[in-house]
Amino acid sequence: MIPGNKDTRDGIVFSIPFLFVYLAFMIYPLLSGLYISFFKWDILSSANFIGFTNYKTLFTDEKFYTSLWHTFEFVLMTTPTLLVVGFLMALAVTGTSPYKGILENIFFFPYIFSMTVVSTLWAWLMQKDWGVFNQALMHINLQPVSWLTNENLAMWSVGLTTLWWTAGFNMVLFSAGIKQIPKEVYESAAIDGATYLQSVRHITIPLVRSTTVLCLILQIIASFNVFGQVYVMTGGGPHGTTRVLVQYIYETGFRYYKMGYSAAMSYILFLIILGVSVLQYALLGRKDQ
Amino acid sequence: MKKKLLVVALITVLATGMLFAQGTKEQAGSQGPLEITFWSLFTGGDGEFFDAMVKEFNASQDQIVMKNDMVKFDNYYTKLTTALAAKTAPDVVVIHQGNLLNYVPSGSLLPLDSYFDAATLNDFQAAPLDACKFDGKLYSIPFDVHPIVMYYNKDLMAAAGITKVPQSAQEIIDASLAVKKATGKWGTAIDNTTGVYKAYTLTRMFISMLAQQGGSLLTDDASAPNFNNAYGEKALVWMQDLVHKYQVNPTELDYDAAMNTFKLGDAAFYFNGVWATGTLEQQAGLNFGAAPLPPIMGGQAAWAGSHTLAIPVQKNQDPARVEAAVTFIKWMTSHGEMWAKAGHIPTRKSVAQKDAMKALPYRADYAAAAAFALPTPRTPAWEEIYGTLSDKLEYAVTKNQNPKAALADMDKTVRDIIASY
Repeated sequence: MIPGNKDTRDGIVFSIPFLFVYLAFMIYPLLSGLYISFFKWDILSSANFIGFTNYKTLFTDEKFYTSLWHTFEFVLMTTPTLLVVGFLMALAVTGTSPYKGILENIFFFPYIFSMTVVSTLWAWLMQKDWGVFNQALMHINLQPVSWLTNENLAMWSVGLTTLWWTAGFNMVLFSAGIKQIPKEVYESAAIDGATYLQSVRHITIPLVRSTTVLCLILQIIASFNVFGQVYVMTGGGPHGTTRVLVQYIYETGFRYYKMGYSAAMSYILFLIILGVSVLQYALLGRKDQ
Repeated sequence: MKKKLLVVALITVLATGMLFAQGTKEQAGSQGPLEITFWSLFTGGDGEFFDAMVKEFNASQDQIVMKNDMVKFDNYYTKLTTALAAKTAPDVVVIHQGNLLNYVPSGSLLPLDSYFDAATLNDFQAAPLDACKFDGKLYSIPFDVHPIVMYYNKDLMAAAGITKVPQSAQEIIDASLAVKKATGKWGTAIDNTTGVYKAYTLTRMFISMLAQQGGSLLTDDASAPNFNNAYGEKALVWMQDLVHKYQVNPTELDYDAAMNTFKLGDAAFYFNGVWATGTLEQQAGLNFGAAPLPPIMGGQAAWAGSHTLAIPVQKNQDPARVEAAVTFIKWMTSHGEMWAKAGHIPTRKSVAQKDAMKALPYRADYAAAAAFALPTPRTPAWEEIYGTLSDKLEYAVTKNQNPKAALADMDKTVRDIIASY
């Protein structure tokens, strides 16, 4: 400690700008959202207090359930694939390949684009009649695929786009984790005759465990909040089969002006994400100690 | 001491931003022409023509400068609603006639009766003007009417030996089959799948065809659905049959794809709002015609939207700015022939008489459609009904769902939606 320096005081002073912004743009909206969820309010007229009615309505709203299910579908599709692909990418760029520098750039490159750019780009690539993908398929005499307009494929197409876009971020986290593993461990394993696969299986995977848990939690939260890609690429279609919960929240709030109902649904989503995160942390995080 | 300095520095940083934001607004009120602001939702094809009009308005006089901000259609109403709630909306806004009900009851729009003289108001066609009145008060001025119409490809019709534009349900089916047989192209292009937009065309066709039989989508007081009957079934089955029984309309066709299918000459009959005209006539080699929506189910009726111009209520309403906004609205509506280039039908009688208007191709062919344009039902639930029905019709048409089951399901859903408002 530097003499004459008061850490606590300085700490508080230096935090004030951040706390100010955090209170104004995170805590206040968060509480105000909870408050709104007990009202019937269309933004322009005055709000009517209706207690828990919004929450009660929610449990009988079929569209809420289907939208929630579509969100779960997306989470189940993307979370494992993004983790596995991110890990494989990290293995590739931390290995001994002479191309690893180029690969690292290629893998991370998509992540720098904004969601809208990525989604618009892929929506065009996957366009049924003129998209590059189908043009290529037809060129080699295959049937064109309804990437975004078939109810069984649309969500997978959005998932594929998300994989291309964000796997690079997981790669960065994993490669940081892999680089922390001491070289000696691998060397002694190699002396004992371990193959590459064996050392990945028995050294790398167990030792990046904390990174895996981190990635998993971040990824699940991100996937639960999916909205942009779906909204731009499929608009929730075909016939609402890719409408995710955040999209329904957006539509009820800002299209149909049911702000209270919309806020109530946001809080249910918040509770779900909170529950999943706590559960994960309890199950996976503790063993890590 | 140090702490105080830090706090002062922080406040200065935060405050300067606000000061500058304030400054730009203040300046406009001083010397020189009065700068008024406008938000438009016109993107793509419409946008160019609208910008040209604003430019011409600014050049035509030196009292007022109109600044136009374009907002993406998808986010327009979100932005407008929040701005209206905060009373920071621009001086003039465009609102679809069907959306007025979201803003009128809360007093967000200025009643306009006292700003327009009788002679000016009498120059407007009665139906679109009346649609902007609520409880006898006028809240916006109709800028255009844009009904759904039918475009037809003359070359494909000629190749199939069709000489008369088909009118009835059966004639459209026969002509489509003939086109398919002679050329291998699609007969109709009615979009039926969500892409960038929902399959609104299905709902627009459905509404039109119900009215053509003497029915309506909702009851007169908009309190209940009114389509779960023989009218609804006939309209739905016709749209399903084009795709499945006769296979003359592609399935999984989204809005952009339908437009492109017709543009590239791959379909003979295309149903869309008049706003497509501006885009279609720019397509080289496309030899097409336009007609009011045919009496497919017997009578004349067509879904229509209407862009209207309104003046938001401000915290401190400046009479000079309101006057300037009124001047702008008068100028814009009286130069409707420029707006008609985008395809829309102007609302002022004097505009219809202008030679410049009569000289425009296609527009004259469907101008009559304004006479049987259907007004949007007056219920705050409309947006949700419209969007939800589009999803349901999309499923019914692409999956060839049992029409009775489809209508019963739609009926129940609409009842639930209305009950939730």
